[in-house]
Amino acid sequence: MKETKKYWKGLEQLNNTEDFQKYSNKEFPEYLPTIGEGEEPSRRDFLKLMGFGVAAVSLAACETPIKKAIPYVKKPDTVDPTIPNYYASSYISGNDYCSVVVKTREGRPIKIEGNKLSAVSGGGTTPQVEASVLSLYDENRLKYPQIGGKKTTWDDLDKEVSKALASGSKITLVSYSIFSPSTKAAIDDLMAKYSNVDLVTYDPISFSGTLDAYEVAFGKRALPSIDFSTAETIVSFGADFLGAWPNRTLSNKQFAASRKLGDIKKTMSRLYAFESNLSLTGANADYRVLIKPSEEIAYLSSLYNELASKKGAPSIGGTTKPANSEKLKKAATDLLKSKSSVVVSGTNDKDVQLLVIAINDLLGNYSTTIDTSKAVNLRSGNDAEFNAFVDGLNSGAVTGAIFMNCNPVYDHARGMDIVSGLSKASFSLSTSLFPDETGSLTKMQAPEHHYLESWNDFEPVTGALSMSQPSISKIFDTRQLGSSILAWSDSEVDYYDFLRINWETKVFPTANQSEYYNFDAFWDNCLHDGVYTLPSTESTSVKPSINVASLNLPKSKAGDLELVVYQNNTVADGTMANNPWLQEMPEPLTKATWDNYLTVSPKQVEEWGIEIGDMSTQTVNLTIDGKSVEVPVMPQPGQAYGTIGLAIGYGRTSAGKVADGVGVNAYQFIKNANGYSSLATTDGVKVEKVGNPYRIGQTQTTHTYMGRETIIQESILSKYKKDPQAGRNFPRIATSEGFKKPNAVSLWSGHEYPNHHWGLMVDLNSCTGCGTCTIACQTENNIPVVGKQEVLNRREMHWIRIDRYYSTDATEGNAMEIASENPEVTFQPMMCQQCNNAPCETVCPVAATTHSSEGLNQMTYNRCIGTRYCANNCPYKVRRFNWFKYHDNKQFDKNSSMNNDLGKMVLNPDVTVRARGVMEKCTFCVQRIQAGKLEAKRENRRPVDGEFTSACASSCPSEALVFGDMKNPNSQISQRLKIKQGDKMVEAEEARAYHVLEELRVMPNVWYLTKIRNKDENPTKEAEAANAHA
Amino acid sequence: MSGKTDYILGVFDDEDILLSAIKSVRNDGLKIHEVYSPFPVHGIDDFLGYKRSRLSIVAFMFGLLGTTLALAMQIGMMGVDWPMIIGGKDFIPFPSFIPVTFELTVLFASFGMVGTFFVISNLKPWGKAKIFDKRITDDKHIMAIDLSKNDMDYASISKLLSANGATEVNDKTL
Amino acid sequence: MTSESVIREPLVTGGKTVHDVTEDISSRVEEKPAKLWLIAMALSLGMLTVGVYCVATLLWEGIGMWGLNKTVGWAWDITNFVWWVGIGHAGTLISAVLLLFRQRWRMSINRAAEAMTIFAVICALQFPILHMGRPWLGFYWALPLPNTFGSLWVNFNSPLLWDVFAISTYFSVSLVFWFIGLIPDFATIRDRATNKVSATIYGILSFGWDGAARTWSRYETVALVLAGLATPLVLSVHTIVSFDFATSVIPGWHTTIFPPYFVAGAIFSGFAMVLTLLLITRKVYKLEDYITIQHIELMNIVIIITGSIVGVAYITELFIAWYSGVEAEQYAFLNRVSGPYWWAYASMMTCNVLSPQLFWFRKIRTNLAATFVLSIVVNIGMWFERFVIIVTSLHRDFLPSSWAMFYPTRYDVGVYLFTFGLFFTTFFLFAKFFPVINMAEVKSIIKSTGEKKVAE
Repeated sequence: MKETKKYWKGLEQLNNTEDFQKYSNKEFPEYLPTIGEGEEPSRRDFLKLMGFGVAAVSLAACETPIKKAIPYVKKPDTVDPTIPNYYASSYISGNDYCSVVVKTREGRPIKIEGNKLSAVSGGGTTPQVEASVLSLYDENRLKYPQIGGKKTTWDDLDKEVSKALASGSKITLVSYSIFSPSTKAAIDDLMAKYSNVDLVTYDPISFSGTLDAYEVAFGKRALPSIDFSTAETIVSFGADFLGAWPNRTLSNKQFAASRKLGDIKKTMSRLYAFESNLSLTGANADYRVLIKPSEEIAYLSSLYNELASKKGAPSIGGTTKPANSEKLKKAATDLLKSKSSVVVSGTNDKDVQLLVIAINDLLGNYSTTIDTSKAVNLRSGNDAEFNAFVDGLNSGAVTGAIFMNCNPVYDHARGMDIVSGLSKASFSLSTSLFPDETGSLTKMQAPEHHYLESWNDFEPVTGALSMSQPSISKIFDTRQLGSSILAWSDSEVDYYDFLRINWETKVFPTANQSEYYNFDAFWDNCLHDGVYTLPSTESTSVKPSINVASLNLPKSKAGDLELVVYQNNTVADGTMANNPWLQEMPEPLTKATWDNYLTVSPKQVEEWGIEIGDMSTQTVNLTIDGKSVEVPVMPQPGQAYGTIGLAIGYGRTSAGKVADGVGVNAYQFIKNANGYSSLATTDGVKVEKVGNPYRIGQTQTTHTYMGRETIIQESILSKYKKDPQAGRNFPRIATSEGFKKPNAVSLWSGHEYPNHHWGLMVDLNSCTGCGTCTIACQTENNIPVVGKQEVLNRREMHWIRIDRYYSTDATEGNAMEIASENPEVTFQPMMCQQCNNAPCETVCPVAATTHSSEGLNQMTYNRCIGTRYCANNCPYKVRRFNWFKYHDNKQFDKNSSMNNDLGKMVLNPDVTVRARGVMEKCTFCVQRIQAGKLEAKRENRRPVDGEFTSACASSCPSEALVFGDMKNPNSQISQRLKIKQGDKMVEAEEARAYHVLEELRVMPNVWYLTKIRNKDENPTKEAEAANAHA
Repeated sequence: MSGKTDYILGVFDDEDILLSAIKSVRNDGLKIHEVYSPFPVHGIDDFLGYKRSRLSIVAFMFGLLGTTLALAMQIGMMGVDWPMIIGGKDFIPFPSFIPVTFELTVLFASFGMVGTFFVISNLKPWGKAKIFDKRITDDKHIMAIDLSKNDMDYASISKLLSANGATEVNDKTL
Repeated sequence: MTSESVIREPLVTGGKTVHDVTEDISSRVEEKPAKLWLIAMALSLGMLTVGVYCVATLLWEGIGMWGLNKTVGWAWDITNFVWWVGIGHAGTLISAVLLLFRQRWRMSINRAAEAMTIFAVICALQFPILHMGRPWLGFYWALPLPNTFGSLWVNFNSPLLWDVFAISTYFSVSLVFWFIGLIPDFATIRDRATNKVSATIYGILSFGWDGAARTWSRYETVALVLAGLATPLVLSVHTIVSFDFATSVIPGWHTTIFPPYFVAGAIFSGFAMVLTLLLITRKVYKLEDYITIQHIELMNIVIIITGSIVGVAYITELFIAWYSGVEAEQYAFLNRVSGPYWWAYASMMTCNVLSPQLFWFRKIRTNLAATFVLSIVVNIGMWFERFVIIVTSLHRDFLPSSWAMFYPTRYDVGVYLFTFGLFFTTFFLFAKFFPVINMAEVKSIIKSTGEKKVAE
């Protein structure tokens, strides 16, 4: 820089006072008057106008859209225009929990991030967590208390409720599992006040059997904490701990940790999955065995006997030999070999779970991987009690019910019984914040706050407390459940004070007093962190007391067709079914959206004579003891022959315009087996073809990767140990001077990135395919929802997708399109690769997409004329086109984040809402990069690695995505990839790192790490097929 | 003075007769004003002693201009005024410039030449043609002789023309 | 050259005199429109109306009205574009190249051929505009214009931009070439004009033409040089169009063989279209003496040659794909032949490679009906060629995860129909109001290659 003539901004600069130096880099220098102090009209008006956002939120609740901007008279000191605020809180939906950090802009929550301080949820999120922020702005939410469907005031409602409570007739509080200490306390007070009130809890997917088993074995009715990260061998019997279990963010994190490979850690866990449906867990298994639910007992008991014989423990008699005993024996030997292991089963039955406990006990896992002292309180429902309640309701023993944020009419198999019972009940009330099947039948509705509007505390895991604080004032005339309960027990205190008192009296004393000089300090600290861990009481490994001989294992009759109801990772249990982001999220395995369907093994589909086309299928009638639904068929490789799967969460009837009429309700097929709600129905399952044509919108219709090693590079552990480059594929270009690396051949001299060079690393070994990144990206980048028809037209807009590939038995030709019967699954997150030699840039006639000096492939929306040439020329097909105007367009009213004034509150102000006819794509969250750089600049420093990251990377529960500056030698990405600075471009020296389609020499800034499976050298049949490519 | 004849027009039916006629009348020292035909008669310009047109050179010049402008524009826009990293290529990716350069060369050459042709031949939409005889756009060739340019008298000229195969000899007064 | 008249078949039959030429051609312009013409015109206008409706909907709702998707970003739009551009090659080629080679048989067909070129290019131009997401901006943003937002130039790396220059240059030069040819004939009509209106209109169009020998000699130089310029231009245009694909990275597009292959294809389809139209014009206007069987036969021969070149190109593609050893490339062609779009590939092969071979039989290539049918078959085939190249390459490229099918909607069809309406409307207008045969040129060869009148 040559010295140029200087002009002073003022005298301060001339004599360069200390003050000046201090403030010269600040955006709002202190010596300038701000509101409150010194009178500077112009500046004040500026702040007034800019501050209107917060006001807008509360105003948006009104029926007519607000066109005027109402400025503050006095700007709240916490809210600065364009500067986001973050609040630690707890995500709650139904009985789903996650510790989160809420990002607000001008007082509007716009993004949910995982709370990295939480040991319980591990810092990641789930698709449901990410999407929950849109539900806050759901225009279908209940807006005020109602009696008999008519609007009323809270006081009138409270009078009515108190009258009912005081009447002395039997009233039951129904709820999902309650793990909020203060809510529990409030309820106890209520029940103390009214002896005629009792509490019943249940869970849509019940763990009642497991809980009872633990009560028998350990004397405490609670689920234990399981640590998958240290387990060397994991055996799962139909337990989808990655895709459907409570607190799965942690199990994903732990599982991924156990699979991480590097220079030091050359070991990884081995996962066996014995299951019928292809679950996320099964998809990540090293060995997957197809079993019918009716066979599980046989497998479990012979596994027990296998181990018992070695350990010299008594064995169980009368066991049948399982079909695939060779795999089971292998599992048994691995279990015995490994220092620590876990065996889990998804079956909700006391005796089966006792057997599982016995197995884990034989393996000594209660002193290693399973900790009963850290009880997981997320599931505590009791099937027996609930069934008693339903019977009582119908018999008239129970005359009233208060449904606390739960929806049993929809999400319990006995929903119909409750409907009939409610018609008899004299008093019924629902507190759910969304309209639902139960609330539509109750006489009163006392809508609850959304969790983002609530104060609350939780104890998801015993000893680990979690705070929930409002990040926005209530949008509608709703009232938090806690406050309602207090009001009904005529308590004077408001729930917030109640909460504080609880903490002051119960929690604060346990804290280390020297750290906090008073309770307020402690309280603020807890609010700031969002979590607080009680000083741990020494966990002593207790020995379960089980008499295996006395177990009466269910003798489930094997039918020729068995149904397994499952929960997928998109709409999950259906509580948030009215959330379009979740409805349009591709189901991790079938890649289907906007529907549920019968997953059937391809062989069976053929036998039934179902015609399968490109996203087109036919319907069948599924009938189980009287209940019958017409449902489309989805051929699912890896589905055990003779079994069918059906996902819960669909078939809502009064949830709102998005959810209603999507799919069928699978809850009704949850079977009551020996008093427990069982997901599996082993006999009496009838399916007959109806044959009505039906189309299911899928974002990916192909199954395999056609053996293209330049896309998926995988190997097995033993090979990797010998050669870290195992499974790598090195394309070479033939030139006049012989074969060369693609990067060595060029017509151009290339460009240097002097300052930053952003990159993303994707560890295929860590990615479990859960799909959280897709929704995180959708939230962050204002990505529209296009609806089922447009998905059928192959026009979904997601910027990051997860490609799911099955292995095939064929080795060449078009036959490679057909997946194996029991395929190995590989997930590959695919987003814009930010190619340094981007083919898309070259072909744009108007230079609307160009390269930044930091290696980013930029998209200039307002310059784009929409020739779509860039998308055609993109080898990764990650560019998305706005075929229609997706915002402010009645045709796309399901795109609720852009088509109603309330929904628009969720939009990220830092990201443009794209116009019709322009191309869009992943930008590496350039708005976050810029914000981070700006922050660093204001503080006169280089950006610190990890202080900002892309939405996908920050949401990933298994930490499979690492974003960072490849120019910074100390950044995590540079370390993991062993980045070497070339003369112009960077080179990754990590043996596992590769570029997808390296041969094209587009030089992406996204690196993938090879997928390593923990299998034996001598491969099994399906593995052979896989290795034929790898 | 009215009634005075300016031109004598020899009307010919056949181009070959016309050509020979041109030859002989010029040998007889007759100055031909111009010959008008319904279609191009090959070799007529040699007989009339016209020099070869230089329009091809004009075309070449305009072509050169096109090339220069095209290259200047592309290099100026992409390399100088606002360089951008596009597909990792250089700021002045010469191979990419070839097509546009070629097209502009052709464009300039053809339009330059045609423009020049219109100007020098005085062809323009509002142009009024000097027509001695409407039949010259149908099937007759007309040889126009300007009396004032020739010292021969009217009679001998008309005789000479008909002798050389003119089917009619008319006179034209402006 | 004069000797050719001796050995060759006469190019103009029926013992026409120079005056007859004037009569036969000009009277078509002067007389009342023929019944057949009115019917044809009505049909094309009908097509145009339907088309306009579809275009309007497309512009109002968005490109989503078409069947395109995230994977197949181009389909009918660019297929039609390339198809029309291809057709728009014959005219200039016939006039320019055949002029350079002094092929006199061109003279009675080049006028119509050039007209067809102009109209075909106009139709082609519709698609680059219509296929854009934001045509209201795109139509001028694609030009290197300085703008109020500061420096905002275009990207000269983009083949699409090359197209902008190539097509517009080709269009304007062809137009000039065509008009130059028309001037003397307009003069003829002007001088025959009986009513004031046509006198003025054709007066303006004829630019005040006086058939002076000096002007004629310049005129011929201009024609010759223009031909010399137009010839490489013609070849360059489809070469550059082929760059749209050849310079990309998509397997099936990324092919060095494209330029010659596309040019041959263009001439192929161009000649076929010229035949289709000439056979109609010939019938409607009774021009059998000017457009003789010999003309048709010669053009059919050109079709055999170019058709065979195209055929060789197809085979070469398959061979290179196999020989290259590039996985994606090999699959792309395996998929063309045996994938879900095999039927498109099959129709392409039959229409373009097999059917023209019938012209080896003199009987067929001198048979009007057969020629007419085959000329249409060829153009169907050429449409499928572009469809195969564009859609089958895109729908299954590198990552199997994003493979998708393309299903056209009625708006894909409608917009194609629109260009047909446009094409035929303009062509029939031309056929009515412009001399369909280059009188001046034909007159110049009546003597040398006209059939002598049989003395009675």
